[in-house]
Amino acid sequence: MATLKINGVEKEFAGGIPATVAELLGHLGIEAATVVAEIDGEIIERARFSETQLRQGQAIELVRFVPGG
Amino acid sequence: MADKLIISDREFGSRLLVGTGKFASCEIMAAALEASGTQIVTVALRRVDIENKNDDMLGAVDREKYLLLPNTSGARDAEEAVRLSKLARAATGINWVKLEVTPDPYYLLPDPVETLKAAEILVKDGFVVLPYINADPILSKKLEDAGTATVMPLASPIGSNQGLKTRASLEIIIEQSNVPVVVDAGLGLPSHAADAMEMGADAVLVNTAIATAAEPVEMAKAFKLAVQAGRKAWLCGPGAVGRRASASSPLTGFLRDE
Repeated sequence: MATLKINGVEKEFAGGIPATVAELLGHLGIEAATVVAEIDGEIIERARFSETQLRQGQAIELVRFVPGG
Repeated sequence: MADKLIISDREFGSRLLVGTGKFASCEIMAAALEASGTQIVTVALRRVDIENKNDDMLGAVDREKYLLLPNTSGARDAEEAVRLSKLARAATGINWVKLEVTPDPYYLLPDPVETLKAAEILVKDGFVVLPYINADPILSKKLEDAGTATVMPLASPIGSNQGLKTRASLEIIIEQSNVPVVVDAGLGLPSHAADAMEMGADAVLVNTAIATAAEPVEMAKAFKLAVQAGRKAWLCGPGAVGRRASASSPLTGFLRDE
C-alpha cells in the first residue's frame, strides 16, 4: 500500500503516492506559498517542490508560520 | 535627531516589538500591529493542520512593512531549536530568529544551557540570533560573547502580565551589555514598558498584554506611547532619587515673621 507519513500521521494513497512535493501539496489542497517542507529530516526549499520526488514511506513535515509571541 | 534601534545591520525607528499570538482575529491583529508602530513582529512555526489547511492568519501581516521574526517556541532542546530555525530560514530566506527553548510548560522559562548551545550553533551558521533568556547577567554575557545580536531577558513569565519582577537583574544586564537589551515577556501594562525603557532597555517585546486587552488596537497605541515616553525620559537624564524631600517652591519670603 502506498503510504507517506505526513506530519506524524501515516497516510495511504490509493492511487499511488504523489510524484513530487508540489503534487502532494496539490493533492492535500495546501497552498505552497506559505509552506516549508522537510523530508526525512532534510529541508526542501520551496523552489524545489516541483522537482523533489517522493518515495514510499518517507516522513514528511509540512510546516508554516502561525501567530506566536 | 534619529534615536534608532540598531540590531545587527538594521536600523529601526520603533523600540516596540510585537508578537502576533492570541489575537481574536487577523483583522484585529493587523490593526493592532499598525497602531503599535512596530517594525518587528514575531511568529511561530507549526505543522500545517491538514484538516484546516488554508487557515492562514498571517496572510494579513504585510511582510513589506514588518520584519518577520520567527521564534523557536515548541523547542525543548538545542537540536529542536536549530531545526526550527533552519525551517524558518527556508521559509522566508531571512536568517533572523528569536531563539526560544522553553521545555517547562508551567512557567515557560527558557532553558539556559540549551539556549546557549543553540545560539553557538546558529551564530556559526550565519543566523542573526535574538535569544530569549531569564534575566541572568552571566548567561547574557556568554550569549553576547557567542555573537548573538541582542539579549532578550524576561520581565516575568510569558503571558503572566506580572511586570518587571526581574528588575534588579535586568538593571545589571542593561548596565553590562554591549548588545541591545530587549525586555521580553510578562510586560502587562504600558507603564511596565515605560519603566523598562526608563531603566535603559533598548526595546521591549509585548504580545499578550496587547492581544488580550479588551481593546487591542487602543492598547497597542498605549504601548507605543509608553515606549516612546520611557525612552525619552531615559535620554533626557532623569533627576536623582532622594530619601528626604527637596522643596520645589522657594524657602524664603514666607508670609510670616520669622
